[in-house]
Amino acid sequence: MPAETINKQKLDWADDVDDDAVDQQGPITRQEDDGTRVTVEYRVNEDGKKVKITRRTRMRLVQAQVNHAVAERKKWKKFGEASGLAPGPDSNSTSFGEQVFLKLTTTLKEQDNAPSEEKNPLEKLLQSAGKNKINCRICKGDHYTYKCPYKDTHQPLDEIAAPEPAAAPEPSATHDASGKYIPPSLRNKGLGGAPPVGETMGGRGGDRRDDLSTIRITNLSEDTTEQDVKDLVSRFGHTSRVFVARDRETNTCKGFAFVSYYSKEDAEKAQNALNGYGYDNLILRVEWAKSNKD
Amino acid sequence: MRPILLHGHIRSLTRVKYNREGDLIFSVSKDNKPNVWYSHNGERLGSYHGHNGTVWDLDISFDSKRLLTGSADSSARLWDVQTGKELFKWNTNTAVRAVAFAQGDKKALYVTDAVMGQKSTIWVVPVEDNVEDQTDEFMLKITIDGPKATVAEWGNLNKTIITGHDDGTITVWDAETGERIKEHRTHESTITDLQFTKNRATFISSSKDCTAKISDAKTLKIMKVFTTERPVNSASISPIKPHIVLGGGQEAMSVTTTDQRHGKFEARFYHLVFEEEIGRVKGHFGPINTLAFHPDGTGYASGAEDGFIRVHHFDDDYFNFKYAEEEMIEKEAVKSAA
Repeated sequence: MPAETINKQKLDWADDVDDDAVDQQGPITRQEDDGTRVTVEYRVNEDGKKVKITRRTRMRLVQAQVNHAVAERKKWKKFGEASGLAPGPDSNSTSFGEQVFLKLTTTLKEQDNAPSEEKNPLEKLLQSAGKNKINCRICKGDHYTYKCPYKDTHQPLDEIAAPEPAAAPEPSATHDASGKYIPPSLRNKGLGGAPPVGETMGGRGGDRRDDLSTIRITNLSEDTTEQDVKDLVSRFGHTSRVFVARDRETNTCKGFAFVSYYSKEDAEKAQNALNGYGYDNLILRVEWAKSNKD
Repeated sequence: MRPILLHGHIRSLTRVKYNREGDLIFSVSKDNKPNVWYSHNGERLGSYHGHNGTVWDLDISFDSKRLLTGSADSSARLWDVQTGKELFKWNTNTAVRAVAFAQGDKKALYVTDAVMGQKSTIWVVPVEDNVEDQTDEFMLKITIDGPKATVAEWGNLNKTIITGHDDGTITVWDAETGERIKEHRTHESTITDLQFTKNRATFISSSKDCTAKISDAKTLKIMKVFTTERPVNSASISPIKPHIVLGGGQEAMSVTTTDQRHGKFEARFYHLVFEEEIGRVKGHFGPINTLAFHPDGTGYASGAEDGFIRVHHFDDDYFNFKYAEEEMIEKEAVKSAA
C-alpha cells in the first residue's frame, strides 16, 4: 500500500480507524493446484507499517496405528478442573516451551572441563605471581580490598599515613634495617631536606623539578582539581609542586597529575599508599615520574 | 525439541508417571489435586479432587483404569482414572509416602511415615475388581525398625517388596511373610527415587548423596554408579536405549541463592554402560523432583520444584546417537553375519 496511507494515519486518528476497517477484510484463502492452501492477510504492524502475511499450508494425512485402549482413552470426557473445556490443549494449563536442545555427545565431559581449565591458568598465574599479588590495602590480607571485612571501619590511607610520620625522623635507620639498598646520594637525608646536588647532575640543568622525588598519578577522574590532589598527597609529606594536567579547551583534568615531594621517602610512601587506591570511583595508579631523558 | 509445559499444579511436583502405553501422564504435587494429561499434546484430561494435603506418590494400574495415590493427609486413595471419581480411601495413622500396585493389580502396598511416635510401616492391601467389595483390611503389615522408608516397589512376580530408606539403605522384604531378606547400604543419604527396568531384574535408585546407582533387584549388588555434584532427586532408565536420565539440584531451600544459569536444574543424560554424561536438557527453574521415561523411550517428562511438568519428545538425532564402540560392535556383527 502507498506510503500516503501511512502518513494519513499519523495525521488523523479517524483515518487510522478507517484503515483498520480496510485491513480487517480478513484473510483471503485460495487453494493451489498442488494442494497447498495459501492464506494472504494484510496487517498493520507495531511500527504502523502495513505488512502482507502469506501463509502456505499443506495438509498431510498421517495414519498411525494405535493401541485400541489408547484410542478409546482419547475420547474420554474431561473432568475435574478440566471439565467443560473444549477438546485440545487448554492454554491455561498447557503451553509450549522454548526450543531446547539435547545434543548427545561423548565429549561432554571434555567440554565441561574446558571452562574450568580456562580458569585454572588464571589461578596458576596468580599463584605463581606470589601470594602478595592479591593484597588487601586495608588489612594486608590476601583478599581484594573491596572484600575486606574492615573496609567500613578502617580508612586505609589515614592508617598508612598516620604512623609513618612517627617513623619519619629516622628514615635511614628503618631503611637500613629493612636491608634495602639506598644510593649514597640519598643517604643521611632528613625529612624535608633539600635534594642532594648530585641528583640533578643528570637531569635538566636549571630545572627545579626533581624527578627522583616526583610521582605521577594517573587514572584520575575528569573533575579532579589541584586542591583535591593536594588534599590527597599532602598527608604523606610536604610537597613542592602539585600539577594537574588539564585540557586546554575544556579545562578539565586530563587524568594525570605530577606531585613533587621534598623528600624521596615521602614520595615513596605516597606511591605505596596511593597506588591502587580507589579515588572517585577510579583506581589510581601511581608511579615514579620518568624524566624526559629516560 | 520443543517441550510441552504443563502447569496444572500450584506447588512443586512430587511424582510424574506415564501409564503403560504412555499416552497418559499422571502427576501429583504438594498441592492436593493429582492431574492426568495426554502425553502427545499436553492436554489436561482431568484432576482428582479429594485429598487434603501433599500427595507424595502415585501408581497406575496395568490397564490404566485405576489410580492409586498416597498423601500426607493420612490417606491412600483409589480413583477411577476416566471419571476422576474416588473409589476407595484407606485411612492411615500418618502420612503415606509411597504407593504401588502389585503386578496383576490384585494387591497394592502403601508405606506410612514414621512420625508422631509411629514407626514407618508397609501395608499390603487387597484391591478388589469390584469396588463394592473393597474393604480396608490389610493382608500384611511390615513394621520397619530403623530409618523410615521413602520409596517402595514390588519386586518381580510380587515375591518381594523393595524399599529405599532415609539413610540410604535398600531393603528387600518377603512379600508373603514380611521377613527382611536382604539389606544393603547402597547410598550415603536419603533415597529419593527407585525405578525398575521393564523386566524388573534391575532398578535404579537416586539419592541425596549425589549419586544414582543401578542395582541387581535380587542380590542388591551395585552394578553401575552415576556420580554428579548435586543431590539427585530422580532417575529413570530408558526402555530402548542404554541411557539414563537424572534430575536434581540443590535442596529447595537453597534454590533462591543460586542462579539458574549455574545449570543445576538441568536434566542430565548418562550412558548406562560407560557411566558418562552424554547430554543435558535445560528448562526448569527449580530442581527437578521427578522424572519418567516414556514407556516407548520416545521422550520423557520431568516435574520440578517450580510447579511445572515439561514433556519432551525426542528429536530424530537422539535415536541415531551411538558411541564409537557401539558402532564398531554393530559393524562386526554385520560382518560376522555376512
